[in-house]
Amino acid sequence: MLLNFDRLGWWKLVLVGITLLTSAFLLLPILFIAALSFGSSQWLIFPPPGWTLKWYQELFADPRWLESAWTSFRIAVIVTVLSVLLGLVTSFGLTRGRFIFREALKALFLTPMILPVVVLAVALYAFFLQIGLNGTLTGFVISHLVLALPFSILSITSALEGFDKSIEDAAVLCGASPLEAKIRVTLPAISHGVFSAAVFSFLTSWDEVVVAIFMSSPTLQTLPVKVWSTLRQDLTPVVAAASTLLILLTVLLMVLAALVRKGLKS
Amino acid sequence: MLSRIDAQTTRPQTAARIRRSTDFDLTLPALGLLVLFFVVPVVILLARSVTEPAPGLGNYAELLGSSTYLRIFANTFIVSGLVTLVSLVIGFPVAWALAIMPSRAASIVFAILLLSMWTNLLARTYAWMVLLQRTGVINKMLMGIGLIDQPLPLVNNLTGVTIGMTYIMLPFIILPLYGVIRKLDPAILQAAALCGANRWQALTRILLPLTLPGMAAGALMVFVMSLGYFVTPALLGGTANMMLAELIAQFVQSLVNWGMGGAAALVLLVVTLALYAVQLRFFGTDRMGGG
Repeated sequence: MLLNFDRLGWWKLVLVGITLLTSAFLLLPILFIAALSFGSSQWLIFPPPGWTLKWYQELFADPRWLESAWTSFRIAVIVTVLSVLLGLVTSFGLTRGRFIFREALKALFLTPMILPVVVLAVALYAFFLQIGLNGTLTGFVISHLVLALPFSILSITSALEGFDKSIEDAAVLCGASPLEAKIRVTLPAISHGVFSAAVFSFLTSWDEVVVAIFMSSPTLQTLPVKVWSTLRQDLTPVVAAASTLLILLTVLLMVLAALVRKGLKS
Repeated sequence: MLSRIDAQTTRPQTAARIRRSTDFDLTLPALGLLVLFFVVPVVILLARSVTEPAPGLGNYAELLGSSTYLRIFANTFIVSGLVTLVSLVIGFPVAWALAIMPSRAASIVFAILLLSMWTNLLARTYAWMVLLQRTGVINKMLMGIGLIDQPLPLVNNLTGVTIGMTYIMLPFIILPLYGVIRKLDPAILQAAALCGANRWQALTRILLPLTLPGMAAGALMVFVMSLGYFVTPALLGGTANMMLAELIAQFVQSLVNWGMGGAAALVLLVVTLALYAVQLRFFGTDRMGGG
């Protein structure tokens, strides 16, 4: 009755109504920003009096925006590579190893996910001040890696747990070295987990803002930090343009992830 | 004969190779990273709360003795509670609808949920800053239809933070609840109907009680996440309703007071971990999915 869509009666209208409103609530701000980034009014009037590309021109003409985007991209790529490699090695240890602290260790690896980011940000900021890593690319990479690694470990361990290890053992018995068996037999079988680890790691680093606010220096800042500091001054439509590009990248990654998932399945 | 010796010598070797490949030391690089750049910095920060400027609990006395700081604690809990409540009230019907909708419609709603979840946090917060401002679309619309004469103060206050945070937290409550409702057996509700229950009775006596553990778990998660939020409250809230995360950042960044910053961080950590312990104790991960 209540769990049968066709037998809900007029309750169906209420449920569908709330779902439609909520979907609109979730979607509209995103579309709104994209529309405003092409609006000609500096005061973000909607509907805009005319359409223009000048905010994008301003965005691309300003070397600081481009530089911060490039910084974000470099950091995200390095973090993704390290996070996937480290995630792979760690996940093998966690799923295959038989040692007493395994569950505790697993929990420890996931804690950066649940602790308030601001605590990590402030703690790393103090630590990096002392060892001179603030405002450096290394500092950014390390701090983003700490945040991305749990997602990587989570994706890869769950893929590894679903993989029958005896297939890998069979390869070893047939003469492959353990490493060779992992690379040529296990890795292709868990590639969906590795791929989602990469996507999660990239987006975690690319979108990270709280730690980045503390890590950044006047000469080195990521795109979200640039957006943040611009927003603290005014609501310029240039931020709408930057936000639209950020959203576009997200949509592209989501579509790519969906396509790869489909490709892996078939 | 030769082949038998061969088999005897290679087999243990292969077995040893397989066993060696399952070792604990594979987790050491990540463990090192985490200890050096997570555990140690956090411990040092917390230690500074009892050593700076003077050894002792002075920072905590100041933090808990001042009405300004107590107001920030209270505000943090009020905002988080409000966001949790609103998310739950909106999220439950959506999760319910999603669980029973025709799959094509459901997948569109899912795509919207995921898109919103993955869209850059600052982009989403910026959208609300623009939408809610005095001359923003929402005020203009309300004035246009004659509901209000003066623009409502929707941003830089509790209303702004609640709208912005609820927007961010909704997917985090809808997705787990969807999982819970999806797993319920429709036969239980059919049985209720056969026994003469009307829709309202079935909802309040069967569906809600069965999903209650899932709701509690989701609500607790949203509450904990909200407690530590920094960006959205800082941009959508006013100075009058600062939250704990912003206070920590301010102690460290503008006041360079590491002792107080560490003390406030410890308060946030303790509350967060305590609530997580509650979550694990009462709704352990498997019960979260099973209802």
